[in-house]
Amino acid sequence: MPLLRLILARLVQALPVLLGVSLVTFVLMAASPGDPVRLLVGDRATPEIIAVIRERYGLDEPILTRYLVYLKNLLQGDMGASLRYRVPVTELIASHYPVTLFLVLYTIVLSLPPVVALAVVSARNQGGLADQAIRLLGVLGLAVPVFWLALLLSRFFGVTLKWFPVSGFGDTPLEHLHHLFLPALSTAIWVVPILVRNLRAALLDEMGRDYVTTGLSKGLGRRAVFRAHVFPNSLLPTVNLFGIIVAYLLGGSVIVESVYAVPGMGKLMVESILARDYYVVQGATLVFALTTILVMLATDLIAARLDPRVSA
Amino acid sequence: MTLLSVRDLTVTFGPVIAASGVSFDLAQGEALGIVGESGSGKSVTCRALLRLLPASARVTGSVAFDGQEVTALREDALDALRGRRIGMIFQSPASHLDPLMRIGDQVGQTLRRHRGLSGKALAEEVVRLLDQVRIPDPRRWADAWPHELSGGMKQRAMIAGALACEPDVLIADEPTTALDATVQKGVLDLLNSLRADRGLAMIFVSHDLGAVARVCDRLLVMRNGEVVEEGTVNRIVTAPVHDYTRRLLASHPDRLPPRPPRALPAGAPEVLAATGLSVRFGRRSLSDWLSGRTGGFVALDGADLTLRKGEVLGIVGESGSGKSTLARALVGLNRAQAGTIRHLGQPVQPAGRNRVTYLRQVQMIYQHPYEALSPRLTVEQSIAEPLRRHRLVSSGRIGARVTELMAEVDLSPDLGTRLPWELSGGQCQRVAIARALALEPAVLIADEVTSALDVTLQAQVLDLLSRLQAERGLSMIFISHDLGVIRRLCDRVMVMRAGQIVETGQVAQVFDTPRQGYTRELIAAIPHLPGAEAPA
Repeated sequence: MPLLRLILARLVQALPVLLGVSLVTFVLMAASPGDPVRLLVGDRATPEIIAVIRERYGLDEPILTRYLVYLKNLLQGDMGASLRYRVPVTELIASHYPVTLFLVLYTIVLSLPPVVALAVVSARNQGGLADQAIRLLGVLGLAVPVFWLALLLSRFFGVTLKWFPVSGFGDTPLEHLHHLFLPALSTAIWVVPILVRNLRAALLDEMGRDYVTTGLSKGLGRRAVFRAHVFPNSLLPTVNLFGIIVAYLLGGSVIVESVYAVPGMGKLMVESILARDYYVVQGATLVFALTTILVMLATDLIAARLDPRVSA
Repeated sequence: MTLLSVRDLTVTFGPVIAASGVSFDLAQGEALGIVGESGSGKSVTCRALLRLLPASARVTGSVAFDGQEVTALREDALDALRGRRIGMIFQSPASHLDPLMRIGDQVGQTLRRHRGLSGKALAEEVVRLLDQVRIPDPRRWADAWPHELSGGMKQRAMIAGALACEPDVLIADEPTTALDATVQKGVLDLLNSLRADRGLAMIFVSHDLGAVARVCDRLLVMRNGEVVEEGTVNRIVTAPVHDYTRRLLASHPDRLPPRPPRALPAGAPEVLAATGLSVRFGRRSLSDWLSGRTGGFVALDGADLTLRKGEVLGIVGESGSGKSTLARALVGLNRAQAGTIRHLGQPVQPAGRNRVTYLRQVQMIYQHPYEALSPRLTVEQSIAEPLRRHRLVSSGRIGARVTELMAEVDLSPDLGTRLPWELSGGQCQRVAIARALALEPAVLIADEVTSALDVTLQAQVLDLLSRLQAERGLSMIFISHDLGVIRRLCDRVMVMRAGQIVETGQVAQVFDTPRQGYTRELIAAIPHLPGAEAPA
């Protein structure tokens, strides 16, 4: 079962990656200025109280000891507790992670149809009016900063027109769709041009291949050749880029989540960093790293599924 | 009855005239050959017949097929013709098949499109077609992906797809150029029998007169976009009229002056010797190690070789036989896992620490002249590089030495400042030869140096190598898949197959009384000119 072996091997490879990520974040957090306890207790706390709290959280130990204890707990499934919320980190992640996941999937669903449509139209009329227009719009979409666009959209559609809520996540799946439409749209606006560019280039590349001539010589006609040969072959390079973008979206959810006040991982991360909430930052980073690894694995599996030459 | 009638067909790409005023007729069941070298316009002409040229091409003239004017057809009427009445196959089957579609589906495309077959009926017909083009176990290969097939099988599959709807005409554009000689013979035989069974008319394009002669009755010779001569194959081969045709024929390996048999001086020392040379690609996995297997892919398996001073040794074999691997192992480009190499009796390590002294003596020339030269270096810079790097002459003398070397390989001095892309393939190969000669080597290893060249250029380069060898008393290893070429150039020959040397001996002896069945097969597959079996 070569497929199973591939998956297993990749997961084993993931272990040192996760270890490295945890070490780096641990050291960076410890080295960054600011003290969580001071932020927690405020200015008026006496040094004695601070010392007591430090001891309670184990913050008075040397950093190496703290890291090893953290690792030991991690192996038992304990990611520590939030200094700020006084709840286990796992609980915080469990409540924030689905929101981000939903947002990312929503962005993908919103992006893919226009990507395919625009790239195909663009490639089939290379140099034509539609192609020029699509490329120009693409540059615009890439050039506009996400946070600014997000602010504009939220002001116009949220505040002025009141079509969409400007914050939160809602309670039912339908409400989720409603609440997250603007955040997903703002993200899609820069994702779409990147993928369109890539897919268009791949389509043009494939349209010049020898097997296209073969298809035409069989009398299949341009449309059928495009559908049967050009398009499937063009997907391969785009799938790889798509995987990278999805991994980036998970980590890059910070901006839209902050602008739209979406209670997702990005927002949790930023707030925890500002509050020096060590264990939450640690836990969130590990979850991001793990997700990235899984997304990359999924991308490779999809590529292997598309291309018989890749032996899984 | 005339099926296809072409009049004054002219194809231009901007200012470039690719084909000009081409006219010919093709009768039902007739096989017409089009012969010419690269850039002669033969492929462009073929593609113009089915309007397969890119939009940048301007086509004028008339192509009448069975009463219809192809150049004036609407796209849908044209598609009804393509694949149904006129089929086409191409040069490199690997790139002309879609890598992501199963063989059976690609073969069945025309059936689905033109005959509306689907489901079980389609699958059955595909298997029948694959069987007809002699693909063994057709049911299995119908489900295979293109990369799983050998080159010959891919070409057969392509033929099956092109002939699925029983067209009246098959256009074959260099269908065997990318194939080994024995595989080429198989494909040519197949085309012949299909033609006989079905009364198929055929246009067969090739640069190889021998291959064309196996299939065709009538011949067009093209040069620079124009038809220079037309006639029956026999007439053209025996009594060519046009100068260019004569040159083309004279360049065919059959017609090259044979190498006079000669004895090496009795005491000629062994300049190069290898024993038990083995090369393996890929790593040995743990399970290979435990079960005692060699692991990886064994490209060269215990090869022995000796080369004496002044000798020309030919190595012949089909693709994948390990002949290039052997050559590359001799100069350290592939690391040998086992075996020893000796130079003038001394053991050497071509990839080891003291390789420089050895490699100065043993130089290699490669198959693809454009790829073997740096695209950023001018001809002069390329030839001067080894002189500079090894400080062979004082820096003031480099220019003069380069001029000498260029003269020696018949490169005109005004080419010195050109870059590789401004040269022809033959000129590039001369630069590569001059660069190798700059080191004054004792041994020259030529790896398929003429395979990428047109026949007339091939003849010139062979001539040059022969002359240099005689003048300088070089020892030479000449690797080729073309037995005809080996016979003209070499004293001794080694036949390789699947990483092993199967037969070795003096050229005349191996050709006249081959001991191995495989050698006989190779010799039988040489595409000879008709009427003129190679004189010994």
